[in-house]
Formats: sequence, structure tokens, C-alpha cells
Amino acid sequence: MDTQTQAYSGRAPDRTRRSTRQVLGVVLFLAFVFGVVPAFIAATGRWDFYYTLTSVALLSVAAAGVWLTFYIGRINIGQGAYALAGGYVSTILMTQGGVSFWLTLPLAGLFCALISVLIGWPILRLRGVYFAMVTLVLTEVARLTALALPITNGAKGITSIPLPGGVSVMGVTLIPDFATLENPRQAFYFVAVTVMVLVYLVLWRIVNSRLGHLCRSLQQNEELSASIGVNTAWLRVLAYAISSFFGGVAGAMFVSISQSIYPSSFVVQDSVNFMLYCFVGGLGYVFGPMLGTLLLYFGWDLLQVAGQYQLLIYSGTMIALMLVLPNGVLSLFDRKGAGK
Amino acid sequence: MLRRHVLKSTALAFAASLVLTPAAHAQNPTLKIGFVGVTSGPAAAWGISNQRSLETRAAWLNELGGVQIGDTTYDIQIVAFDDQKDPKRAIAGMERMAQEGVHYVVGPNVDDGAAAVRPVAEQNGIIYFPYAFPKELYVAPASNAILGMVANYQSGPAIYKYLMDNKGVQKVAFVAANESDPLSQRDSGIEAAKALGLEVVSDKVTYQVDTTDFTPVLLPVLQAQPDLLVLSGVSPANAPQLIRSARELGYEGLISTETAQDASVLAEGAGDLAEGFISVGGASTPELASDTMREFVDRYTKMFGEYNDESNTKVYALEYIIETLKANPAAIDDVEAFKTTIDTFEAPNPFMVGDAKLRYVGQSSFGQKRQIAVPLVVNEYRGGKFETLFVAEVD
Amino acid sequence: MEQIIANGLYLGAQYALIALGLTLIFSLMNVLNFAHGQMYVFGGFVCYTVVAQLGMPFILGLVASALVLGVMGALIERFLFRPVIRRSKRDESTMLLAAGIAFFLDAVILLLFGEKQRGVPKIVNGVFNWDFRLIMPYDRILIGVLAIALIAGFILFMQYSKAGRAMRALAQDRMAAQLMGVDVDRYSMIGFAMGAMLAGLVGALLVTITGVNLGMGGPTSVKAFLMIMIGGASVISGAIAGGFILGMMESVGLSVLSSYGDVTYLVIFATLMVFLAIRPQGLMGKPWG
Repeated sequence: MDTQTQAYSGRAPDRTRRSTRQVLGVVLFLAFVFGVVPAFIAATGRWDFYYTLTSVALLSVAAAGVWLTFYIGRINIGQGAYALAGGYVSTILMTQGGVSFWLTLPLAGLFCALISVLIGWPILRLRGVYFAMVTLVLTEVARLTALALPITNGAKGITSIPLPGGVSVMGVTLIPDFATLENPRQAFYFVAVTVMVLVYLVLWRIVNSRLGHLCRSLQQNEELSASIGVNTAWLRVLAYAISSFFGGVAGAMFVSISQSIYPSSFVVQDSVNFMLYCFVGGLGYVFGPMLGTLLLYFGWDLLQVAGQYQLLIYSGTMIALMLVLPNGVLSLFDRKGAGK
Repeated sequence: MLRRHVLKSTALAFAASLVLTPAAHAQNPTLKIGFVGVTSGPAAAWGISNQRSLETRAAWLNELGGVQIGDTTYDIQIVAFDDQKDPKRAIAGMERMAQEGVHYVVGPNVDDGAAAVRPVAEQNGIIYFPYAFPKELYVAPASNAILGMVANYQSGPAIYKYLMDNKGVQKVAFVAANESDPLSQRDSGIEAAKALGLEVVSDKVTYQVDTTDFTPVLLPVLQAQPDLLVLSGVSPANAPQLIRSARELGYEGLISTETAQDASVLAEGAGDLAEGFISVGGASTPELASDTMREFVDRYTKMFGEYNDESNTKVYALEYIIETLKANPAAIDDVEAFKTTIDTFEAPNPFMVGDAKLRYVGQSSFGQKRQIAVPLVVNEYRGGKFETLFVAEVD
Repeated sequence: MEQIIANGLYLGAQYALIALGLTLIFSLMNVLNFAHGQMYVFGGFVCYTVVAQLGMPFILGLVASALVLGVMGALIERFLFRPVIRRSKRDESTMLLAAGIAFFLDAVILLLFGEKQRGVPKIVNGVFNWDFRLIMPYDRILIGVLAIALIAGFILFMQYSKAGRAMRALAQDRMAAQLMGVDVDRYSMIGFAMGAMLAGLVGALLVTITGVNLGMGGPTSVKAFLMIMIGGASVISGAIAGGFILGMMESVGLSVLSSYGDVTYLVIFATLMVFLAIRPQGLMGKPWG
């Protein structure tokens, strides 16, 4: 929990003290996800947590993208479209092109970034609910496109996708072939968490760079930042492309776990969920989407014990959370004056 | 400050208690049977009728003193997981089943979920009974899925053949929702119809599942003047509206579907206009239902307030699991033993009158026995109830 | 041709009525009500319970739906949206609340009314048939007329009543309206209640024709969003125009594109995206809603 607080970019004057604490936070976090979590799972025997946490990691990668579009003041309810596109790109490259999964992962992201530039250029001029609604429609367009195209195999989906293969450089095995592993879910967990850590480091770096300041200026007043010479159109498209890259990578990873993809693998509900993860965690905090995903996704799984009241309790909690902490769960850890 | 602190600690305590909740221990040995399917959201009807069938039958068996498998008598416990019709959740559900030591799972209800859980099921030694039709789930090398009902590519040809011979049907039209399951079913339906020599006059029209007015959808279909209108993979929610719109537009031919429907839903949604509507059902029509089936319906109604005719096809999965385990007690935690038993297993079918048998089929469709033999009962809707049109068998 | 236009008009009337409630709430509070579809479904189920289960006349079902949803809307505004709007740093936060309410209503609907498709028997029998060029069942005509009457009533109310004028002032400029002495809290609550009431009324009207089931909520909300975008958010005439345009697009699209099958809705949605990219504020909306 502490990592999130520390990594939040307040305007503390003491830079060195801050950066020491940040490094410490990152190290603690890494130790937690790579050490404590596997140890906990081994101790309790709750092996199913691996998949749940893998899901959380991957969904929070996609949610990180949504968060970035929030950061430039746009409500993005279209991330599901890019996750679906990423999944299909990876699948088609693997099954028809024989490309290694590890190579398709960045390619899926790049493909999504590319189409997001084409789509984003016109629609990023929209604001507020208009942008939100267009992106909502985009998810449905992606689903219908996947149904209609021959290369995606339409309604029948693509099944029996091979597990990620091995990677070795000069005889040294860097990544083992997943098909030979005794416990692929643990391997998927490590991969997913690594991707998540990388994505959030990138995100955190962006937010604390010049680019991040420009993005914030966009969020606050677009006309004003344009008038002082910020190339707002370019900045918006850049942020959106990065966001979609994250979505594509998350989608591709998911497909490699389920070893199958259908047009309904990512739907409007997923897009809405990504947005909700950001809200729950807090829009003002880089690590908000990560925490939000953990709470909402994990929460649903744990509430399974509630049987038919599962959805009632889940949504009731969500409403209560909003009433108590309208600025996200992380606002709980805000110190005085640290909020924006 | 104090409020913050209280909030923080309650949140942490809540999270901790959820993570560490120990599984409830029953006193008698329990046999856990899983259910992974959709019980909330738009498609809730499918999973709920499924889960309730399982729970009704389990409660009944437990009331009778449990089930004797080998030398041990077990109480049946149903472990249910709501996948929200999301394939990603379905995987989590299957992982959960593995965690709980469940080896036999009923569900998922849709194609994408059934395909997504396959790796988990095969890695963890779980046999699952999907209500999804894609053949690659059941054809080798896949081996852990057993189709829980009659697939439309099996029932479709039987229905079309019957209608060709008895009602002189020559021209057939298909409509389907623009989703994976219905579209796949439409395509295999078209194939079957063409193979029988029927003329397919309209096969392109699709609709969104949330359509509130089907008149524009059906207009071009009916202009092609079919004798038979097939509603491929239609959900119980859409069926009455489609029937009603077709009839109101003056369509006088036959309407059929290959999925299970509910008579009271048809009565409310389409009333007399649904007369003669042909669908596939289980064995609860008065001509076929045994006393056990009637008692099942009574118990279901008592437990949940209202029966759902879709459960007629969903009553079987649990019976098959238990009977097969009885036949080979070693299978209780070894699905390989289950698989070998599949080939020879046979037991009386308690839900049907006569000498119908429970056995595994699918040899001709899948090349291996990966389907439960549910009688293919084709129903006709008459006066608010289903009547048996004909009964066929799948091999 | 006549048939296509008639279908479009009928669809348009019901769509416009759904969109009106949504746009009213949006214009007053800048809240995109994700739960609108669920409110519509709730209204349908209330009407079903009153008419089909208790055996009351249809008109009572309509009234009951309007009342139940009106009260529900008022409570939701008073106890949920108002405190959240007051305390959150960003406007968008209300979207989470709205989505939470949508899930909550879904859960309540499932527990109260069950998972099955429900319907009220036809209120009028018979089909109007003009030489097979135009076929329209009488109950559809009746519902269409009722919907249009409700739309007209709503417009008159907004134009000429005190509450309507106050709400229009609020929608135009919240701050100015407050300065002019409009009780912002009170009219926000009334507006939200009216929006919910409209959703409930459409649900109740349509339960006689399309029936109702718990899955219709989400997709209905999305469709309603589309309509208010076409017409322009927060403009009442825009919602009506959006509803009729979407109805017409579906009716024409399904007929013209039927031979291409699966792509009908793809074309409709893609066209919408292009349209909005070119004209972001919709047909008659304020730019940058």
C-alpha cells in the first residue's frame, strides 16, 4: 500500500529524499509481487489466486491506458476494442504467421497504437460525454468487425491457440516453453506482473515528465494550453496511442491464457469496467487503476460466497465507496495538501 | 483523522477476512459438483435454470440420505460460480473449481466460455459439461468436455426432415442474433438444410439482441416467402417477440428453433400467435415424463417459486455424473477412469417413461463419445403448453 | 416503403421517449445516467406485476410505474448523486456512481422479478392492414400514439410550467439560474425524478409489446446514449430528433442492407462515429456539451 502513496507525485521540495523513498517503494512492491505473493500462495495452497491475480495485473494494464486518457481529460470507454484487436493480432500472427508469441506481444500493442492514431485523430476533438460515447460505440464496432471479417474466423472464433513458446539466446533459455511447464499459471502470473510493473513505471515516468505536465494542462484547460503553444492535437493523439498500446498488450496476453478468442472476448462491459477501475482507485493517482482493478475484480471473486446476493453486495459496496470516498480509494491516503 | 483511521483499518480488516475465510466444513463426506455459468446480467436465464436444476436434484438426493458411490455415502454439494458470460471470468471459475477439488463441472453456457476454460480443465483433471456446440470442444485431442444437450446440428436436420415429410416444407429462411453462438448455429443449420435439399431463401438477416421491434428485422425475411422460419439459437427473451412480429406481418408458415424454450414465457409474450411454434425440449411433456420428472418439477417449483421449462434439458447432467461415478467409483477423483467408463456406461433414465437409457453418445458427430444421450424431444406449442411432436435419438 | 417509414416512426417514438429522460438528467446535472436502461426495465416489471399478476387495468400499471420510478429517481438524486457531486473533485466521478446504481438495480430486479422474460398480454387485438403495403398491429399504433402524446406533454410542461421553466434555466446556466433565485437542489431532484419517471413510463408502455427482461437494461442505456449524441446532449429537441433518426436508420438500414446481413449494425455504428467526428456537438447541441 505504501508504494502507492510514495509514488504519487506531490510537489515535495526535497527531491533526493523523495526519490530514495520512491526507489524503496518500488523495491518493496517488487518484493511483494514476486516474493510474498508466491510464498503466500504456496503456504495457503490457494493456487487459484494465481489466475485471479494474473487477471488483475492484465486488466490493470488496460486500465492504465484508460487512466492516461483520463489524464488528458477524456473519458475512454473504448479500451475493450483495443484489447480485442490486440488479442486478434497476436492470435493471427501466431496461428497463421508462425510468429513467436513474445514478438506478437509488442506487435499487437503497436498495431493498436497505429489504428488508435487513425481513429483518435478525428474523435479526440470531441470532449466530455461525446468522446465517451463514441468510444463506447467503438467497442461494439470492434465486436461487429470481428464477427464480419474472414481473417478473424467470424462467429466461430479461433481456438486451440498454442501456449507461448520458449525464447533462448545463444543456447541460454531466457523463457521456457510454456507447454513444457508443470505450472503454466505461475509462469503467466510472473509474466503478467512483469508487464504490469513495466507499464506502471512507464506511466509514472510519463506523468512526472514534461509530457505529464503538458497532459495535466490539457486536462485543466485545453484552450489555454493551446494558446501558450502546446500542440494539443499531437499530445492528445500521443496519449491515446500509448493508452491503446497498453490495451492491445493486455488483450494479447489474455488470449494466450485462454488459448482461444471470440468476438465476445472483450465487450462493452469490459470497457466500462476498465473505466470503473480507474474511478475506484482514484483518477488523481498513477496507481489508482491498479488498486481499483484489484479491489473490484478480486472483490467479485471473493463475494462468490454470497451466492445470489453477490451482485447486490458488490454494487452496494461500490455505491458506498463512492459516497464515502468520491475521489477514489487512494484519496484515503492523501496527506493534507497533497491532493490537487 | 480518526475517521480516516477507522476507514483504513476497517478496509484492511474486511480485505483480510475475505482472503482468509476458511472453506466451510460439512460433517458428512460431501461430493462437490461444480457449476460455472452465467447467473447475472442479460443471459442470466440460461445459467439460473441450470444452477437451480442442479440444486433441486442435489437437495432431493441428500434428503433421500445421499448417494452411495462405492462404499461411501456422499452428500452432494453444488459449488456455483457466476462467470457473468465473460470468458475471462469463466477461467477464474474453473480455477476455483480446481482449487475446491471439484472434478466434475456443469457449464459454461456459451461458446467463448467453454473454449476458454479448456486449458484449465485439462491441466487440472476436470470433466466439464458445456451447453455450447462448437465441435472442436468435443473432437480429439480435446477430451474433457462432454456436451450436455443435443446440438443444433443434430436436432436441426431431424426437425427439417420431419417438416419436409409431414408438412411439405420446401423453402426455409434463417434469422439469428449477431452473436457468436446464434451465428454459428445458423451456419450449421443452413448447411443441414441444404444437405436435405431444402431451398434456403434467406440466410443473411441478423439482429441485435437488444432489439425492441422486430418488424424491420423480419420484413425482408418474410418477403422471401419461406415455408419455415428458423430462429437460430434464439434466446427465450427474443423468441416471443420474433414470433409475434412474424405473425403480425401476416406470415402463415411454420416457425421453429433448435434451442429450449419456456412455455409460460411464450404464452405471455406472444399468446395465441405462438400456436404451432416448434422447439426442442427435454422430457417433461405429459406423454413422456415419468413420476420422477414430475416430482422434480414439483420440487423445483417449491424451492424457487416457478418452474422453467428450459430445465427439462438441464436436469440430466448431474444424473449422468452421479450414475457414472456409481458405475466406476474410482472415477470420483480420477477423470481418466471416468473417460474409460464413458464408452460402456449404461443406466436407466429415471426422467422418462419406458425403457430409455442414460448413455454417452456423439460417436458420429465427434468421433468419440463426448455427449450425454438426452432424448431429442421436439415440441410444439399448443394452448399454453408444449406437446410432443416427435422423439428421436442422437448417436 | 410505407412499411419502412411506419416502422421507423414507431421505433423513433419509443426511442425518443427513452432519450428524453436521459437528456433531462444530463442537462440538469451533467450526469450520464448509466442506470437509465435499468430504470426502464424496472418500470416494465412494475407494470407487469400490477397488470399481469394483480390483474389490474393497464392504465394503473402505467401510473404505478411512473410513481415508483419517480420516487426512486428523487431518492437517488437526493441521497446518492447530490452528496457525491458536492464532494468529488472531478465531474466524471458520478459515472462510477451511476454504473454502481445500474449494477445494483440489475441485482434488485433479478431478486425481485426473476430471470425470465415477462410480458403483459396484448391490450388491443387486431392488425391494421392496408393492402399489405402497410401492416401495423393496433396495439403498436396505440403505443406509438401514446408515446408521441407523452413527448408532446413533456414539451408543453417544459415550456409553460414554472418547474419546466426553472429546469430549462438550470440546464442553460446553473450558476445564473441560482443567482436568479432558482432553488437548484429542489429542481435537480424534480428533474431527476422526471427523468426516471419517463424511463419507467416507456418500460411500462413497451411491456405490452416487447415484454421485459433483466438483460435489456444495459443495451437500452447504450442506445439512449447514441440518440442523445446524434441530436446533441442536453437539448430536448435533440433527444427527440436523435430518437427518430436512430429509429429510422435501423428501419431503413435493416431493409436496405438485409442482403449483406451481418454488417447492418456495423454500418449504422460506423456511420454514427463518422458523423460525430465531423459534427461533435450532434445536430443541435451546444459544442463541447
